[in-house]
Amino acid sequence: MSQGIWNRLQMIDRRIIYWVLFIILMIPFIRPLGLPVSITDQTRDLYNGIRSVKEGEVVVINISSGVSAWAECLPSLVASVKVLNQQKAKIIFWTSFVDGQLTYEAIVSKVPSFKERVYGTDYVYLGYYAGAETGVAQLAKDIRSVFTADYKGTPINQLPIMQNVNKAEDVKLVLSSDTGDVCDYYIRQWRVPYGVPVAEIGIAMIYSSYQPHYKAGILFGLSNGSRGGAELEKLVGELGDATTTMDAINSSHLLVIFCIVLANLGYLATRGKK
Amino acid sequence: MSEVLRKEVVYLITAIVVITMIADYFFGIKQLNDAASMVRTWAVVISAMALALGAVNLMRAHGNIVRKRVPGRWIYSGVLIFIFALTTLLGLLNINNPSTNPLYKWLFDYPYTSLGQTLYAITGFYIASAAYRAFRARNIDAALLLLAGIFVLLKNAPIGEVIWVQLPVIGGWFNDIGQVPAMRTFLITAAFGLLAYGFRTLLGKERGFYGEVATA
Repeated sequence: MSQGIWNRLQMIDRRIIYWVLFIILMIPFIRPLGLPVSITDQTRDLYNGIRSVKEGEVVVINISSGVSAWAECLPSLVASVKVLNQQKAKIIFWTSFVDGQLTYEAIVSKVPSFKERVYGTDYVYLGYYAGAETGVAQLAKDIRSVFTADYKGTPINQLPIMQNVNKAEDVKLVLSSDTGDVCDYYIRQWRVPYGVPVAEIGIAMIYSSYQPHYKAGILFGLSNGSRGGAELEKLVGELGDATTTMDAINSSHLLVIFCIVLANLGYLATRGKK
Repeated sequence: MSEVLRKEVVYLITAIVVITMIADYFFGIKQLNDAASMVRTWAVVISAMALALGAVNLMRAHGNIVRKRVPGRWIYSGVLIFIFALTTLLGLLNINNPSTNPLYKWLFDYPYTSLGQTLYAITGFYIASAAYRAFRARNIDAALLLLAGIFVLLKNAPIGEVIWVQLPVIGGWFNDIGQVPAMRTFLITAAFGLLAYGFRTLLGKERGFYGEVATA
């Protein structure tokens, strides 16, 4: 009988796990936990790097994460752009994802300070570039050979923000938002040959891949999914979506650990008896 | 043109492009830099054209499924073709800036965004279930992996710090001391591998991308 219980512990129907997870994810929305989030070095360095941008300096934000990664990347992007607007930096957005424009529009709608900034003078969205790493390499050499106009069709030479900007050396720093390896392209084609500081705003899954680059000083900062977003929100002083998500992260992580422990207890209790 | 000559021309073009790109990286010769820049622009344009090719291929593949009425699949392929045609048509109506078309924008803002985020969120459920079923301490290695995983999970979630203030420190140790050197080794090894692959390609020994089997 007891062996039956231990066996059953290892074979809980996945639909039960799905339902328990669903309910556990809902609880924080009804009753938020609001646990404190400590700041990691990676996020603090990212924040300090953005904070060091001076008025009028140009920052490139590469959007290589689609709408599916909004939960993880958008809060960090929003918090970073809030700081850049406070610093009165000039921001150039571009994307290597076909739905990058949605992310750009989401950032603009979530950052109220854009109302005080002038499109084309203080910020611009140039649109989509193809060619993966080759495209990124060409952007470092000659932006105008990749983009001839912004996403509205305004010729690039008529945009005040682009007057003295055409190559990597004209850019103060790059923030790359990724779900894959696009930040590697900026490391290889912008950071190493031209010394342009690059930071990564990525999903938690690729955090491990970029940590060696951060530790080696190649990336000046690194945001780790929603956790990084919550840390940035805390640093900026405006709590947002990522801070809310942290409650769901807490409950879901605890459930996963609980399930793993449960299954292993069952496994260890029945190991010798099979 | 004979088959041999045709292959030789491809190898020659590849070698010229590779040498131009490497030389462009290391030397500041204007003519060379201009030539490399031109080649990169071609590559960007060709990549953009590849998107169109991909779209045509997608329509061909799904068109075949619909035409053959493949059981269980043709309805989905039909929906795909319909949405593709609708989006393309709406985009073409405002070709200079499709996002000014309200219906086109609606398609992206509501169905696409919601579906995209839903698909990604569902993976959380799969991961929870998969972790429960797969993470078993069957031997010492698996037990160590399990332990490290739990500590890193508790480092990432703020509740770890609430349970015990040292939990994130231990998780951080696994991350910084355990994971970073391993990942660094992997990256450096892969970089050397890429270098070797490049040389083999340059020497015509690596012909995988020509559709041939590599020679030793």
